[in-house]
Amino acid sequence: MSFALLAPIGLTALAALALPLLIHLVRRIELRTTVFAALRWISERIRPRRRLRFERPWLLLLRLALLALLALLLARPVIDEPTVAKPAWVLVAPGTDLGAARAAVSITGAEWRWLAPGFPAIETPAPSGALPIASLLREIDGDLPRDAQLAVVVPEQVAGLDGERPRLSRAIEWHVVPGRMSAAPALPERETVEWSVRYAPSAESRVAYLRAAIAALNARGMGHYKLDAQRDNVPLAATVRELVWLGSAPSQAVTAWIEAGGTALVDSAPVDTTLVDTRPRAPGAPIWRDADGNVLAGVQALGHGRLVTLAAALSPDSFPRVLDADFPQHLLELLQGSPAAPALASADALRPSTTPSGTEHSARLASTKPLDPWLALLIAVLILVERIVATRSPERR
Amino acid sequence: MSSAELIPSDVRARLKKLRLRARHGAGGDGLGQHASRSRGAGLEFVQYRAYEPGDEPRRIDWKLFARSDRYFVRESERDSPLTLWIVIDASASMAQCDAARPAWSKLDAAKAIAACAIELALRQGDRFGLITLAAGGPALIAADAGARHRDRCLLELERIACAGEWPAEPALRPLWERVLPSSLVLVLSDFFDDASAELALRFAAARREVLTVQMLSAEERDFPFTGGHRFLDVENGQERRVEAAAVRSNFLERFVVARKNLARRFAAGGIRHAEYFLDTAPDLPLQNFFGIVSERVRA
Repeated sequence: MSFALLAPIGLTALAALALPLLIHLVRRIELRTTVFAALRWISERIRPRRRLRFERPWLLLLRLALLALLALLLARPVIDEPTVAKPAWVLVAPGTDLGAARAAVSITGAEWRWLAPGFPAIETPAPSGALPIASLLREIDGDLPRDAQLAVVVPEQVAGLDGERPRLSRAIEWHVVPGRMSAAPALPERETVEWSVRYAPSAESRVAYLRAAIAALNARGMGHYKLDAQRDNVPLAATVRELVWLGSAPSQAVTAWIEAGGTALVDSAPVDTTLVDTRPRAPGAPIWRDADGNVLAGVQALGHGRLVTLAAALSPDSFPRVLDADFPQHLLELLQGSPAAPALASADALRPSTTPSGTEHSARLASTKPLDPWLALLIAVLILVERIVATRSPERR
Repeated sequence: MSSAELIPSDVRARLKKLRLRARHGAGGDGLGQHASRSRGAGLEFVQYRAYEPGDEPRRIDWKLFARSDRYFVRESERDSPLTLWIVIDASASMAQCDAARPAWSKLDAAKAIAACAIELALRQGDRFGLITLAAGGPALIAADAGARHRDRCLLELERIACAGEWPAEPALRPLWERVLPSSLVLVLSDFFDDASAELALRFAAARREVLTVQMLSAEERDFPFTGGHRFLDVENGQERRVEAAAVRSNFLERFVVARKNLARRFAAGGIRHAEYFLDTAPDLPLQNFFGIVSERVRA
């Protein structure tokens, strides 16, 4: 059992201790006035000394103690609870062979749980579905007492990651056993990427620029791209994942398709006539700016899909960037987006690192008991006593 | 207003043993209880004196003439009444009182002593008058005898309040016309102002019998202060800021010397002097002057 302060900066309130000291000191310096006719026989040479003497020392001590306790309350004192139960936990990631896990872990008397939300007991059926493994590891690390032992059994392939090696406050046992976690199915790599283009009759001329861009991409060897340009009344094929919609606002069917997970590039932004600023603008979060900072394209989330809107119609007179050399590259980025972070990794590479200082705070919180209520009670009692002492008749002089 | 408020009952009881007594014979006419300097027909025999032309023939002692064949005049002491003048210093410094008893100032004590003296004089049929010395000059109640005059004086006593300083010398001149030689003058003052001691000495030098009571507070005697103090003189507005405990011994030493000097001056001038402290009974100075103890000492 030990004592600790969660906010030691609160102790700076101890500076307030100077207040009662000053109060009791200043009163001392005051001269008492006495009418005294036999004045001429008092020698004037001895001036009143300014002694460091305190009036009513017990009251002063009481007030000092009161202030010190208040400062302590501000510093949020806690006391470490003695941890009696569950000194060791073993967490088993779903998808792990239980027999292999029991063989791998040598801790006796440990608490066996699934590494899943709520940490269900190992006797219950294994949870299924995508699990935020990294997040769960941090959670249990924060919840367990500081001195508790933690062992984690994971399969060789771990999913549910968030782009970083987990960093925990303690050293844990990291057992890797054969197995594989179920992860969200990854999209198959495509040999040939086919972009669908649907254009309004008025926008047929703009398709040429897309063709030029495709040709440039293919020439640079950045992949094999094809263009499926049709009128806007031709329905989309089921395998299409990128669509360029030219000349008009997207139809209901296209919007529904985007919401189901497609990515669409629309060139004619619906003009909002209520705006005073009539400069071309693209709705959504900016993803492409020119050198002056003007937004050339914006992206919006629409259901599961993305809707990329160009600031103007895809023609040289309204959108001069079409003629630039880097337009094909930008077009590729607009349509494909940034690659997703890996969610599946080898368990060996994922062994959590230990950073004691960073996460110590939360770990402490879980295993300690705040002293605030008792301190507040003590302060209340002290205030009462201080009032009684202070209002008692000063002294019998 | 009655004298009961000025004189506590125990003090009044002790007054019964006191008699106003002048050291020298009192002058004046009329029958009183005091030995007179004027001799002549009377009850108490003093001496035989040879006849001188001009003596009344009826005062010749004829029996002695028959024995000695010479004229002798029999002389006796004539008893005469005494005039008591009570002089009260009502300057601002007399408002001082002890912290232990804030309602009992030097002036209050002086009033009580004056009331006691008036009671004594009334009982003996003596004449008494009251003089108050304050900023506006002397306030005076002419000497007279009787219970009504006592009440008049007590009313005046009640009215007195402290103000200002001791009056200047010209303002005191009317006193000499009122306070006749051979009268008893009781001066109640703190004598911190040298003019007050001067007045008492001049009265004594001019054949008035003077009794002085120096009114002192217990704080002046003991100086019980500690810590930083600001001492204030209300009369001239002076003040001293001192560390009380440090100046105590020095003050007591010098103050005792000053009191002794004053007593010595008064003794040299033929004045009977007493000190009165605010924490003692107000009849103590009178016991000192007129009591049995003093009588025995004088005998």
